[in-house]
Amino acid sequence: METAARKTTAEKLAEKNGITFYRINSEKFKTNRVDIFFLDRLERERASANAILPSVLKRGCSKFQTQRELEIRMEELYGAVVDGGCNKKGETQIVSFHMSHIADKYTGKGDKLFDKCSQLLMCILQNPVVEDGGFKASVFRQERDNLVDYIRSRINDKMRFSFLRCIEEMCRGEAFAIPDEGYESDALLLTPQKTYEIYQQMISSYPCYVYMSGSIDDESAYRFIEQFSQIPRTDTGRTGTCEVKKNVSEVRRVDESMDVNQGKLCLGFRTNVEPTSPDYYPLVVYNGILGGDVHSKLFQNVREKASLAYYAQSVLEKYKGLMIIMSGIEHANRDKAEKIILRQFEDMREGNITREELDATKKSLMTGIKTMQDSQGAIVDFFLSQHLIGEGDDFESMARKIEAVTIDDVVRVAQNVQLDTIYFLKPDNPQPAHQDE
Amino acid sequence: MADYRTINYDRLGETLYEYDHPSGLKAFLVRKPGYNKKTALFATDYGSIDNVFKKSDGQVMHVPDGIAHFLEHKLFEQKEGNMLDRFSKLGSSPNAFTSFNQTAYYFSCTDLFEENFRMLLDYVQNPWLTDENVEKEKGIIAQEIRMYEDDPDWRLYFNLLGCLYVNHPIKIDIAGTVESIQRINKELLYECYNAFYTPGNMVVVVAGDVDPDRVFTIVDNMIKSKDKGRPEKHYPDEPETLNAEYREQKLQVSMPLFSMGIKDPVRLSGYELLKRRTAIGIILAAIMGRSSELFNRMYYEGLINDSFQFDVSMDQSYGFVNWGGQTTDPEKAAQEIRSEITATVERGLDEAVFERLKKAHTGVFIRTLNSTDIIAREVMDCYFNRTNYFDLCRVFDELDVNYTNSVLRDLFARKTALSVIKPV
Repeated sequence: METAARKTTAEKLAEKNGITFYRINSEKFKTNRVDIFFLDRLERERASANAILPSVLKRGCSKFQTQRELEIRMEELYGAVVDGGCNKKGETQIVSFHMSHIADKYTGKGDKLFDKCSQLLMCILQNPVVEDGGFKASVFRQERDNLVDYIRSRINDKMRFSFLRCIEEMCRGEAFAIPDEGYESDALLLTPQKTYEIYQQMISSYPCYVYMSGSIDDESAYRFIEQFSQIPRTDTGRTGTCEVKKNVSEVRRVDESMDVNQGKLCLGFRTNVEPTSPDYYPLVVYNGILGGDVHSKLFQNVREKASLAYYAQSVLEKYKGLMIIMSGIEHANRDKAEKIILRQFEDMREGNITREELDATKKSLMTGIKTMQDSQGAIVDFFLSQHLIGEGDDFESMARKIEAVTIDDVVRVAQNVQLDTIYFLKPDNPQPAHQDE
Repeated sequence: MADYRTINYDRLGETLYEYDHPSGLKAFLVRKPGYNKKTALFATDYGSIDNVFKKSDGQVMHVPDGIAHFLEHKLFEQKEGNMLDRFSKLGSSPNAFTSFNQTAYYFSCTDLFEENFRMLLDYVQNPWLTDENVEKEKGIIAQEIRMYEDDPDWRLYFNLLGCLYVNHPIKIDIAGTVESIQRINKELLYECYNAFYTPGNMVVVVAGDVDPDRVFTIVDNMIKSKDKGRPEKHYPDEPETLNAEYREQKLQVSMPLFSMGIKDPVRLSGYELLKRRTAIGIILAAIMGRSSELFNRMYYEGLINDSFQFDVSMDQSYGFVNWGGQTTDPEKAAQEIRSEITATVERGLDEAVFERLKKAHTGVFIRTLNSTDIIAREVMDCYFNRTNYFDLCRVFDELDVNYTNSVLRDLFARKTALSVIKPV
């Protein structure tokens, strides 16, 4: 009754000057898309400059000198998107750009959108508006202000803020503590000239991955590769390794007060499992059982049984080997919540795990793997992750590895997971809990 | 075999299957060949604004704020345990949401679709409420409410609605308040359930690579209740004037946030609603979209940043537009936008700009068809407003600059309200 789903693969089309080109072909999507990732080692002196590049480049290029002209052009191309961003995976900072457009057959006009949109993307990447040996000063200043405002606005989202603060405290002194977009004080010191130098390094020397997805024919794909390969490159390969193993001697507690209603409790753990380790997939299952989904120990015990929270979950940072448990609670329930959370953590270590928990977790992970293949963005992110750690897993081999995980495997990785930091965003004026107990 | 209709949208490469169950329940399937993911949704035309209604015996009920959302939480509870557990044992992700006008229960899965689908249709028809499980939920929902109290965007939005609306319950927080939910009990929840969870008031939508015969046969077998019609909803009269022009709140934010809006007094349903909503979207894009002179001027001045957004919300019982984001100066931003709106109302939209934006919006619509979740939700939303999501294609064909300009002159000449969040 169902159409057999085709295997989702990333076909390597070319590798030139430290740029690797892949194509992920699928007819089922309405859109075509190109994603470009430039990789740099996460270091304080470059982090803010890397982070500002996408916003500066989006402000115009030789052919479309202003943001407005670019936007008008994208509207003419049926609401095409040309965008960029910056994040980190482990201690690698990733400056990314992408374009997407609806497939030609949906325009009803026989337009050739791939070439036009690729040209737009290449124009902002290759030909930014330059003056006095740097980016255009007025535009640059605005984007610097925006970056500073963006960094400051971290406090607006309390859940994310407490999560990031927990990681910062836990990893202080390590590169991973550097936020995705760098620090405010560094951003304030950026100049159009210095940042332009970093831009030139990015374009000419950062290792680069390019993914084309949708229904892109050979001719268009190779024409794009040809165009991209004209960028002069000197390969320096600035990615490095990421230290995952750390022995925690003492659990650190950090309390910060803020004028908020709900307290946010974040517990940071070191899993001591590297993404290439055979223990990695057991760790994924471990995290799923502990706090991955509605069947998890945290959701069941903190929310469903104790009614202490609306959310209680754990997430993994794959590359740095971290696990963070998060929950939003009343100030008065802090100790109670912490105790229940740590009890679940101990249960994992002691092997109090049922067959049902293991099965539900694996099934949920399997669903996740299949579902990822229905989103172009998720497919690209999956293959980038695999390529970053040099592992050749595809969706099928990842599924097989997860399927093979046993309770013993989970208990084994549990022995090495160590609590490192407990962060609490504390309401300034605690109100009485609305609990009946 | 269930007797259903097949509608092909060749230009979109989509097929819609539509089935009328004898009980009055409507069911849709949008088939997505090649997709692993299947999304199914079972929804009732009942949301947070339905706090006054007339039961079939003629009695008018006034129920506590937040009860539709509370009921949504509680339906997961069944005699034999929590539905979340049963879905997750099959590896699927169940969830639900309550909006102003709808409550929807859904899951997405890749395997065992039929088993999941039967479970969804079953539990939504079989509430299991006890005094104890109702009490237990109050702690969880209280924390959900507290979380939103700390969410500046959410506060900004509801403060704007509080400015726009004098009487309409859309101004009330969807989850209610920590106080209002204390008044909710098992009996009231059953009253609401029995009034609104009737087949004629509900819809089933499936999106994914599944067979229509199988889907509708399951619907046929699983829907137990008989036709009970639709409950009578009571909304208070809403004047055309604003409740307030300005509201301000202080919260832990890095810089001020502003949100502005206009209340639309025109009530429509069906195709006309879709058409007006689309026209308003294009007008907003023309005035303050990324390609507009205004957006770029304010962005250059540092008055707004990338967080700036705009939106149209339209239902049979309410309609409004809103826009905003972070700003260095809420009053100045508001002033610039107000003058630009006035100027645009006077001169009308340029035809070339209108055509370009129509093209862009067509692209945005096509993109939504990549996601089974979005499709399911939009098909439901349109059905409750007596229209069809795929009719957007026709809207884009038929919409012209004259009609759009008449909407512009009618709606955008009205007063705007301003909601501001300032740093503590």
